[in-house]
Amino acid sequence: MTVLTAIGTYLPPWGGPKGRVPGPDEDAVTLGVAAGRAALDGASPTGVRAVVLVTRELPLLVGGNGAALLGGLGLPHDVPVTEQVGGAPAVADALLGAAPGTLVIGVDVPEGGLAGASAGLVGERGVAVETVGRVVRSLPVESRTPDGVSRDYADPRLSRERGLGGAVEALDLADKPLAVAGVPAKQAAALCAGAPAALPTVGASSLLFAVAALEQGGVVLATEQASATALRVESVPPVVRDEPTAQPVPRSSTTPGPEIAISLASYERAFEAKLRWEAAKCGSCGTLALPARFRCLECGAEEGWSSAALPRTGEVYTVVTVHVPVPGLPTPYSLAVVELDDVGVRALVKVTGAVAGKVGIGDRGRLVFRRVAVRTGIPDYAYALLPEPAAATTEGSA
Amino acid sequence: MRRVAVVGAGMTPFAEHFGLGVKDLVPMAVSEMAAHVDKGLDRADIQAAWFGELSSTDGFAAGILADTCGLLDIPVTHVENACATGNDAVRNATYAVGSGAVDVALVVGADKVRESSARSTFWEWAAMTRDQAWDYPLGLVAPANFALHVARYLHESPATREHLAMVAVKNHKHALPNPKAQLRFEITVQQALDAPRVVEPFGLYDCTPQSDGAAALLLVAEDVVDRYTDRPVWVRGVGLGLDRVMHQHKRDMTTFPPTVKAVKAAYAMAGVTAADIDVAEVHDCFTGVELISYEDLGFCERFGAADLIEKGVTAVGGAKPVNPSGGLKAKGHPPGATGVAQCVEIVEQLRGEAANQVDGARTGLAHNIGGPTAVSAVTVLSSERG
Repeated sequence: MTVLTAIGTYLPPWGGPKGRVPGPDEDAVTLGVAAGRAALDGASPTGVRAVVLVTRELPLLVGGNGAALLGGLGLPHDVPVTEQVGGAPAVADALLGAAPGTLVIGVDVPEGGLAGASAGLVGERGVAVETVGRVVRSLPVESRTPDGVSRDYADPRLSRERGLGGAVEALDLADKPLAVAGVPAKQAAALCAGAPAALPTVGASSLLFAVAALEQGGVVLATEQASATALRVESVPPVVRDEPTAQPVPRSSTTPGPEIAISLASYERAFEAKLRWEAAKCGSCGTLALPARFRCLECGAEEGWSSAALPRTGEVYTVVTVHVPVPGLPTPYSLAVVELDDVGVRALVKVTGAVAGKVGIGDRGRLVFRRVAVRTGIPDYAYALLPEPAAATTEGSA
Repeated sequence: MRRVAVVGAGMTPFAEHFGLGVKDLVPMAVSEMAAHVDKGLDRADIQAAWFGELSSTDGFAAGILADTCGLLDIPVTHVENACATGNDAVRNATYAVGSGAVDVALVVGADKVRESSARSTFWEWAAMTRDQAWDYPLGLVAPANFALHVARYLHESPATREHLAMVAVKNHKHALPNPKAQLRFEITVQQALDAPRVVEPFGLYDCTPQSDGAAALLLVAEDVVDRYTDRPVWVRGVGLGLDRVMHQHKRDMTTFPPTVKAVKAAYAMAGVTAADIDVAEVHDCFTGVELISYEDLGFCERFGAADLIEKGVTAVGGAKPVNPSGGLKAKGHPPGATGVAQCVEIVEQLRGEAANQVDGARTGLAHNIGGPTAVSAVTVLSSERG
């Protein structure tokens, strides 16, 4: 038995009635960070002793995503990260086998598919979750090989009847489930007692979206093609949702051209402060430096630096919008110098989650973890300004 | 310090010189400079050279100048100070001549922006002046650097996009008679406002073109000036100023502190004030930068630039003509050459031989700002010995 303390969910701000799509600055790590931070809302990060990331869209297969994930979540360097390829059953199995202090994150960001992320924190106190049954079978109607090529056998009835149908039959459940994760809403409804809530995704993140949508405890089915895990949740744990209203995907263009160069030495020096949103604090006068530097901006001291967390809210001091084609970056995009609240520190950041050009001087927003560029194949993570909803819908002055 | 005079000035046209390398443009500019020396130049007189250049596909900068100009027996120093390179090369040569170390010094500036493909220029040139971890990957392309300042300036000052357009209109008009200018056509305020957006608030006509070119000056000590001309132009003041490199660390982005520092030093050395400047070549890589620079150079009070451009004060014929050559905006902007070419223009203005002559100009100023906005160099030139 596992105890679920909290659930956090995240949906990208882009898309329409058919579902959400990721922004150009989002990937499985940024989505996972957003959901994980929602799940940890208020919880002490020191209580997290392990992270499991389940997705089929790992940004790097070689090179590692764990440090970026820990950085974005604000977790210490000694927390083990498991990067797992899988769907909803893998998330169910990770949760059911997890020790207290484990953050299990499921992320979906498939090419052309439904994007979203959810995370569950396993703890000492909360909602009991137990295994009802598990069946692992093979009927790969949809497949994807390591070269990224997806194939569809194109036989939905075979998939429905012999795939999921076969799995449900094998599970031999005593009661009908309250929700089925991993299949479209219509197919889920056919298998459920009552009318389950429509879920925003069908992959790894769908299970905790399903649990979060429950009105009472009961059996939930985590499925992926011909495999399924059935679990029973005692009741509904607290849910924190980071699910902004969906906006239509703005028009943008990408220009072919040279890749953005990267110096990995410079990347490594900046990595911790850049991903953890930390300034260096002068031991002599307390001045904050972003980025960290050898000699204090204010008093000239050259030693005694410590790191200090930066505020994640601020106001736009100046902002511009780049329309001209820039190879490797989707245009247009807005760049802003943001005055962070109450610390006398400004940051130069990209604007995210708003149509380019819609943010003006004086608008407020929060700083969120995003992938600002991909440089010669390496994701470059940093913080971007997510304008407050009111700001993003008014015409900017820039 | 000894007085220093300019006795020769020359430049190539600024253009897309696809057919010419830096190896060709440099000797062309030097030969034109030599031909401009009233009483002639024996190249054996040149004792040292300073060469301003940011980047080239032709190889090692100082060696290229020595090799292509047949100056193999003198020291050549490469100067690189972002967009302030040209006027900084002038400053260094002025110190060498003024100190008595050499009597005759050559200053050359050159660059070829069009050696990069049009679409890769941003990344290749941005890599030289951005923090590679914090700023570069955000897509802080050159126009964005300046637009961040100008957006705030438009927010705080009475200036509007129309005032930016007026700068473009003026400088395009000024370039018309200049045979060395890259963009020799007039535009209207409406055309500038309607042009495709580059980096809001800048449209296409708010931006300098991508240019190739070279320029050269001959600086000599007052002791030997009579050997070369009876109409010298004196280098009365030079100045260089710096600021925090990252925009995040610049507290007031409606002004360029490097310019304020550089011009203060140059005015003090020259013993002049802004009121004494009859003609100026100001760094208008983007239109709004010219407006902010009016204020930083002391041509008007803070936030008074909109009024100045609106009333035509800075047009040729006005009380404080700025960029009679067309400026970077219309003459062009090969960075290493730009400051040197500004001095070529001012020398011609002060000798009464400019293509777009300001009547009776006796004292002039050349100004660069760059890096992206963390360095400025200013040169004050005068027909009066002082």
